[in-house]
Amino acid sequence: MALAACNPTGGSGGDEENFVNLYTARHYDADRQLYAAFEEATGVAVRALTGNAEQLLERIRAEGDATEADLFVSADAGNLWRVKEAGLLQNVTSPALEQGVPENLRDPDGAFWGFTKRARVIIYRKDAVQPEQVASYDDLANARFRGQIVMRSSTNTYQLSTLASRIERQGADNARQWAAGVRANFVRDPQGSDTDQIKAVAAGEAQATLVNHYYYVRLLKSEDAAEREAAARVGLIFPDQATGGTHVNISGGGVTLHAKRPGRAKQFLEYLVSDAAQNLIAPLNTEFPIRPSITPAPELAALGSFREESIPLDALGRHQAEAARIFEEVGWR
Amino acid sequence: MIGFALSPGGADASFGGNLLRDGAIGTALVVLIGGAGAVLFGASAAWLVSLCRFPGRGIFEWLLVVPLAAPSYVLAYAYTGMTWAGGSAIEVRGLWGAAFVYAIGLYPYVYLAARAAFASQSACALEAARTLGATPVHVFWRVALPLARPGIAAGAALTMMEIAADYGAAYHFGLTTLSTAVFRAWYAHGALDAALQIAAVLLAAAIVFLLAERWARGRAAFAGGSTRWRALPRYQLAPLPGFLAALFCGALVVFGAILPLTWLGRLALLHGDLGDIAQPFANSIILSSTGALITLALAVAIAVSARRASGAGKASVLAAAMGYAAPGAVIAIGALALFGAARSAGWIGGLSAGLALTALFWTYAARFAAAGVQPIDAGLARLSKGLDASARTLGAGPWRRMFSVDLPIAAPSLGAAALILFVEILKELPATLLLRPFDFDTLAVRAYSYASDERLLQAAAPSLLIFIAGLAPILILTHGIGRARAGQR
Repeated sequence: MALAACNPTGGSGGDEENFVNLYTARHYDADRQLYAAFEEATGVAVRALTGNAEQLLERIRAEGDATEADLFVSADAGNLWRVKEAGLLQNVTSPALEQGVPENLRDPDGAFWGFTKRARVIIYRKDAVQPEQVASYDDLANARFRGQIVMRSSTNTYQLSTLASRIERQGADNARQWAAGVRANFVRDPQGSDTDQIKAVAAGEAQATLVNHYYYVRLLKSEDAAEREAAARVGLIFPDQATGGTHVNISGGGVTLHAKRPGRAKQFLEYLVSDAAQNLIAPLNTEFPIRPSITPAPELAALGSFREESIPLDALGRHQAEAARIFEEVGWR
Repeated sequence: MIGFALSPGGADASFGGNLLRDGAIGTALVVLIGGAGAVLFGASAAWLVSLCRFPGRGIFEWLLVVPLAAPSYVLAYAYTGMTWAGGSAIEVRGLWGAAFVYAIGLYPYVYLAARAAFASQSACALEAARTLGATPVHVFWRVALPLARPGIAAGAALTMMEIAADYGAAYHFGLTTLSTAVFRAWYAHGALDAALQIAAVLLAAAIVFLLAERWARGRAAFAGGSTRWRALPRYQLAPLPGFLAALFCGALVVFGAILPLTWLGRLALLHGDLGDIAQPFANSIILSSTGALITLALAVAIAVSARRASGAGKASVLAAAMGYAAPGAVIAIGALALFGAARSAGWIGGLSAGLALTALFWTYAARFAAAGVQPIDAGLARLSKGLDASARTLGAGPWRRMFSVDLPIAAPSLGAAALILFVEILKELPATLLLRPFDFDTLAVRAYSYASDERLLQAAAPSLLIFIAGLAPILILTHGIGRARAGQR
């Protein structure tokens, strides 16, 4: 076992214990089905400790080389980058991962790897806004929407990553101007979740907002009739199709520095990008599969294909602190 | 944690905003408004059921405690869900929304403390006032309320510290408080050291607040009055005031419990599938009972030593109260840091699962001891100084006095403290989330997982079960207070 720990490329952990421990910030029922499918396929059990990404990071840090965690999983590249920066992930090389995960959706050093994608989309009220008025993220900062925009708090990591991608693409000054412009259009101080923003738009409280695509898809097929009606009143736009492409984030994982079963951890990562897992997980949580060759779930295909931004993923981490500072400066908390 | 807090570099300087200032203002506002609401609701309800007779009084006496079983974050989700624009005319949101949720969810702390205070008042003082021709309103303002003030103040202090420490509801309503500022510095800025500095400011404010409360209470000491105890005389309210009293108490119960519960029940039914909820339920019960017993032991030690007026005892009461005002995640991180430091020093091997669990119980004890100290202290207060002196004269040492005199007399209060601690830990989320073992979900963890994934339908069933699991101990608790009136039976 000690040998395996020194040799991350050492196959798929044949002589390691028959389980793998996850610290995961994803809490989806879909994930539990995935663990069961992995165990059925390989005989390796998955034990999970779910939690908040920032707190799990502190737990791994405090545990040091005594940690039980083999794999760290999070639904945001910025969070994965923080764990890497803390020196708590190890670099992995794997032909299966390199082949399965597009280059812009993984860490350049191989510290973390995406296995699903989520797009940051604009939601607008159909009876008040024309789609072409909200074709770009820039439009949300347009003075025509004064008092017409709702937004989630920028304490949330999706907002940080959205602004970080803008800093990477268009520079900090542009990002500050944009954030200040959107802030000036707020109808209320940021509150509630992505879903709450969609509902506020549907209820006529605002004309547009910014959310992850799958929250809209979930409302479309909700068990609650009121939520389905809300989804029917709004439209979804993949922004910036004519320019840099829509901002995309990943769910991903990385093998921890002090993993006791690094081979098992790698085996699970490889499984996550396999045909079987990709076909299973993406539809369950209505995320986009990481591999372009896999067909997304029907309700995602119905949204149409779109152009993604192409920036190195670690930019979301590198610009995170600056993004937070900008949000603070313009008063978007 | 304090070590972290003293590291150099202000949070504001590096963030280019006024996080600390805005957080302090936000906390002050929501603590004052929410706390005032809770005192208004709790104290008036306690007075009505203790000293008046009106339709439904007997039922309201225990129903009024029920909202205690609902965590603030669950109430926050329920109220925004219920009043989401399009669903109702009023939207519960922002500062006023948060203050409302705190007041309606936390008033039972004031109610319990005030009711215990009214119940232990000398009937003679009240009757004397009546004989002298005072109206019920006069008796309330001039006699009952001043006599009950220390109890009400203690309940209010608990409520206000609970509000100051809350993160879930405050974040959901978009407030900037010291608590949300802690997590903003940590999550958004990735600056844990700055987060802990803000937490230290919160703790310092709690100490100042507490000292002020103690100072005010210290001056208001009352001589025991009559030692003859019997059932308190209750005013028969006229039909209209009686109806209004019932309406008031009914509204508290409806808004604090029935309405949000019904809404959660509807969501749970809509979703249908309960999932594997039995195991989390069992885990919650195991963790809460164990945690409550450990914390109770600490609370007893603190309360007894504080009564003996030792300096260390008084300091420990303050330390416990500080813990109550601190967000659970902050204390948990403090515990992690402590164990991490012990590991670096080579004292322990590493933070294994067992140590993490130890850290979890340590966090519960640090966070909630104050909630246990308060009822125990109230119970010990019934112990006359003469009794302790007699035991001393007869040569009983401090341990013997504690076990043969103090604890038997305070026994009903010990039960009350244990039940309150059980409910507190049942509702506790952040520390449990961070320090629990693998594949060990509690109800609160389940509810959080779904809610943070914005699946409110699935979150409804575990939230409802937290409420139901907390109900039984709360009902035992209220039954116990009625009996705990000295001199009866």
